[in-house]
This record gives sequence, structure tokens and C-alpha cells, in this order.
Amino acid sequence: MVDRVERLTNLLALLLETTEPLSLVQIAGELEGQYPEGQVARRGAFERDKAALREIGVPIEGIIQAGGPYAGQTRYRIDRRAYELADLQLDDDERRALQVAVAAIRTGSDLGQEALWKVGAGIAEPEHPVAVAVPSLPVLPRLREAVATRAVVSFRYRGLDREVEPWALVLREGFWYLVGYDRARGARRTFRVDRLDEEAEVQVGSPSAFERPDDLDPATAIPSDPKLLGVGEPIEVVVLVDAARARRVEHEVGPERVTERRPDGSIVVTVPTANPVAFRSWVLGMLEHAEVLAPPSVREDVVAWLEAVAR
Amino acid sequence: VSAERPVRTGSRRRHRNAEARLRRLLVMLPWLMEQGSVPVAEVARRFDLTEDEVAADLELVSLCGLPPFVDELIDVFIDEGTVFVGVPRLFTRALRLDAPEAFELLVAGRAAMQLPGADPEGPLGRGLAKLAAALGEVGDDGLAVDLERPGSADLLVAAAAATARVELAHRSASTDELVDRVVVPRRVHVDRGRWYVDAHDERSGQLRTFRLDRIEEVRAVPPEGGDPGVDLAGLGTTAVRAEGFTEPLPEPGRWFEDPGVERVTLRLAPAARWVVERYPVDEVTVEQGGAGEMLLARLPVVDDRWLGRLLVRLGPDAEVVEPVERRDAGRRAAAAVLARYRRS
Repeated sequence: MVDRVERLTNLLALLLETTEPLSLVQIAGELEGQYPEGQVARRGAFERDKAALREIGVPIEGIIQAGGPYAGQTRYRIDRRAYELADLQLDDDERRALQVAVAAIRTGSDLGQEALWKVGAGIAEPEHPVAVAVPSLPVLPRLREAVATRAVVSFRYRGLDREVEPWALVLREGFWYLVGYDRARGARRTFRVDRLDEEAEVQVGSPSAFERPDDLDPATAIPSDPKLLGVGEPIEVVVLVDAARARRVEHEVGPERVTERRPDGSIVVTVPTANPVAFRSWVLGMLEHAEVLAPPSVREDVVAWLEAVAR
Repeated sequence: VSAERPVRTGSRRRHRNAEARLRRLLVMLPWLMEQGSVPVAEVARRFDLTEDEVAADLELVSLCGLPPFVDELIDVFIDEGTVFVGVPRLFTRALRLDAPEAFELLVAGRAAMQLPGADPEGPLGRGLAKLAAALGEVGDDGLAVDLERPGSADLLVAAAAATARVELAHRSASTDELVDRVVVPRRVHVDRGRWYVDAHDERSGQLRTFRLDRIEEVRAVPPEGGDPGVDLAGLGTTAVRAEGFTEPLPEPGRWFEDPGVERVTLRLAPAARWVVERYPVDEVTVEQGGAGEMLLARLPVVDDRWLGRLLVRLGPDAEVVEPVERRDAGRRAAAAVLARYRRS
């Protein structure tokens, strides 16, 4: 029996070269001696080969004969235009730049390297002065296509079925978010992609199903500050921050939020917050280097929390 | 650069199934056809194969063909260690990118556009624009990667590229003291949205990892005497060059795998689930209890203060299971913060 790689290559060549779709009998005839003689064994071997080619991304068409003496029979071909990568016309420096990018961005999969080879670039050089770990989730490519083609997606999230017009896919602080319009809720929502219910499959509808808002900027589509990811109107909380943390906090909230600079190097900042839980987590992350001064309700909330932990 | 990459030898053979071999051939053939002739060793390096694997696969496809032009479809042969390609007929073009591959390339490119020195008008920006056009996308595709690069990253990356000495004003996580350290950055890495620098620390003589948000200042160590130093990639700074660092760098996200770091097991309520997403963990198990589904997470803890801070933030949603001597960490940290509130 012929080597499997050889048979797969011959099958691929045949289906690319043929002008007319071919039946399995015709294929086996052209690839003489490469498929088993028996009908059942031949069909089994061919189905495995077809699955293998589809697995590596080859678009094999199966066309069922509508009439004539072979009505109902399936014939196969590969559309060369669907098979071949369009010529990207990349220059050498552009290929190298993509190579460096794939070397620096680590997703834990080989797909980036496979893509580089396809566009004619070489191996991603592993020694680079920067390495960025980016989480990889199987659903992301489909969501990106849905965003790019403006197709509605359906999924389950926090126990609810959602039908969402996806506007943007954003990586922020190490997590992927989908921003869009939740049709049932009638409002804009942000979803953590890794929290999509894994049991319920993500469905993608047909393209051009909605218009994205003109003024949407994906880079600012979700607030970067978790303290602002709340439901209500933000309130202003006044926090005293020690010198040891002053520089970092000022950098984080912006110098315009510093309302007082004390001689010992500490600062007073006014922080907008719409999410009490995120705010508490933020302020307690500084331990004894920060203290809520006002409003009293927030200060009391922090003290009560600390008392419960210290008990 | 690729010449320095070690060539795989036959002794490191791994099993390659038919799909994997064909997949590689379908990217190798179009490239070979464009080149005409290439040394086998170069083909092996470029496609991450051994020379034997390249020879075996090319020999196999040279037998491929269809009547009436058997043996002519893929006209390739190896002579004296060089691959020669005759008339290119079939497989002159690679397979189109599938959605996952296109996604990986786009994300890598978009993320790399946010690294120091990236230029939208430069080769990466142009390459990405051509890629988007080939994918049939015009204008904004709604994909955004935001790495929130801190200001100190540029100098650290330039220093890592040049292996140059810099001085860091670093605030220690355990003592909160601001300490000046002379280090040689080896690499800057980003994990779970946080920026770190892996650097050779001159005082301890070891490779250490520092969080960039704890670095308050970075200064290049200027060269002295006749040393011309090294220019840090257009940043207008010159620094002393250091050499001879060969310690391997850990994969981003895995540097906590050091078994010398203490492990703590926490019981986490659903509201504290973010801990296992945010921090590296060795192991997570689900525990069904009276209060619903709890997570038991074993994670490396570098110091007591870090653990105390985490427990104060989590409050009733977390408790230390083991070791027993750490059970008090949250209570002690909370008491210290409370003392401050009671003073004022």
C-alpha cells in the first residue's frame, strides 16, 4: 500500500487539477492502486483522507448529482480560489516584522507559526527582549469574525441566553472582553469571553445583520478602571494615600485627582467609583498605606469589612 | 539570526502523522518553488524539521503525480545537500489562512504594535494592513489589544536588547522600602496584563523578576573612562554594556514554578474566583460544600505580606486551609489596617 502522505498529496493534486467534480470510483481509478479494492474499505479510506484534508483547512466540495444516471451520487472537487491564499504581496521587512511579533506574543499554540509559514515568513525567533502572554480561547476566532462581519452571536452568560450584536473584541488587563448590544436586555453590555457558558454552543448568524455605532472606539469601549464598571452613577470617594504609594496612585488616577499634597509626601485623592466591591478591593490592596476619609458611608463600610476579617 | 538556531538532529525524532507532514509540505513547496534551490540544512531550520525529515518528505512528494503527467507535478530533487525545484506546476501557493490562524497573526501583530519602538507606518503596520486587506476587511475590524504599557517599559526593553546596565528604584513588595538596584534587564514580559522585567540583579548575582508598577524610576548607568557604552535605541541615553548572560529565561507565566517558593492552599467562595484567574496556581479542585461550590486552590506565595493583602481583600470569601501557620495572615493584616482607622 502506498504511503498515506503520498496518497493524500495525490488526492489533493487530483481534486485541484480536475475541471469536473469526480466520483469516488473516478478518483480511485485515477489514483490507481492507492485505495483498497473492496467498496467498503475504499469508502472508509477515502472518508479518512477527506477528513484529514479538511482538518488541515482544504476546502473540499461535495456536490450531489441532481439528475441523470448518477442522481444522488456525490462528486468532489476543490475550488482553487477558495484553496489558495491570496497574494499578500508582503515585502521582506514586513514578513520579518510579523515573525518578530509572533515570537514576542505567546498564546501557547502553534497557529501563529503555521500562519507565518503560509504567508512566506520563516520561523519565529524565540529570543526577543519582550514576551507577552496572551490568553488563547477556542471561541475567539469565531467571535472576531462575527465582529468583523457584523453577525449576531448567541451564547449563554451568567445563566442567561444572550443575543448580542458584537461591536468589539478587546484584550484588556490580560482578559478578553466582548462589547456589544444585548438585544433582550436592550442595552450595551460587556462580557468576559472566558466566562461564556462552555456547555451552550456559541452560534454565529449571517453577516451584515446590524450597524456598529459610528462613535465606537474599541480601545475605549470598556472602562479600564474596574472601579467604574458598576451599574449606578459614580460617587466620589476621598482617600488619603501614604508617600510610599503616592507616586503609583497619582500615576493611576491622574494628577488632576490629587486634591492635597502633604509635607510628609502623602496625598489626598478623589476617586470616582461606581462599583463598591472593586473600590474596596482597590483601597485595601494598599493595606495600611491608604485610608478612606469620605464619604462616611464608604469609610464605615471599609471599617466593618476589616473588623469582620480581623475578628 | 536563524543560522544560530540549533538544527534538529535525527536523534530527537518525534512522531509526525500524515496530516502534520502534509501540512508542512504545503507551506514548504510554495517557498521552495519561489527560491529555486536551497541547501537542505536551511530548509530544515526554516521549517523546524531535521534534514532527514526534509529529505524523506521531499522524496515522497517527488513520486506524486497524476496520469498523464506522472512525476511531473512536483518536480523536486535533492543533490549534494541542496534542494532543487524544476518547473513549478502545482502547490505554487500556500493554503489560505483559516480563521484561527488569521486570528493569531492579527492578535500578535496588534499586540506587537503596542510594544516599544513599534511604528504604525513601519513594516509591522504595513504588513498588518496588507493582511487585513487579504482577509477582505476594510476599516476598523473591532479587534483591540490594549497592553497598557507603563512608561518605564521603553528603557527596560532597550536595555534588554542591548544587555545594558540600568539602575532601578524599586519598591519591595514585602517591606515597602524603596531600594536602588543595579540590574541588567534580560527581557520584559507581560502576563495577565501585568508588566515584569526579568533581570540579572548585580547584588544577589541572580536572575530576578520585578513588577514594573513597583519600579518608580529607571536610569541608564552611564559609561565611564574610555568606554563608549551602548546607545539605547534612540532614547538619547548611553549605558554600560554587560555581557555573558546565558541563564535560560522562564516562559512568561511560569516563573512561579520554582519549587523553592512556598505553597498555600486557599478555600475560595464563588465571589473570590478571580484569584485563580489572576494569579498563577498549581492546582485547583472543586469542593461541594454546604455553601455551594467552593474552589480549593494551591498557589505559590512569595511573602506573607502579599498573602495578607490578598486575604484582606477577599474577606469572608477566602480562608487558608494550609499551612496552619499561615491561617492568621489575613487577620493580622486586617488588624494593622484597622489600627490606622482607629488612630484617626
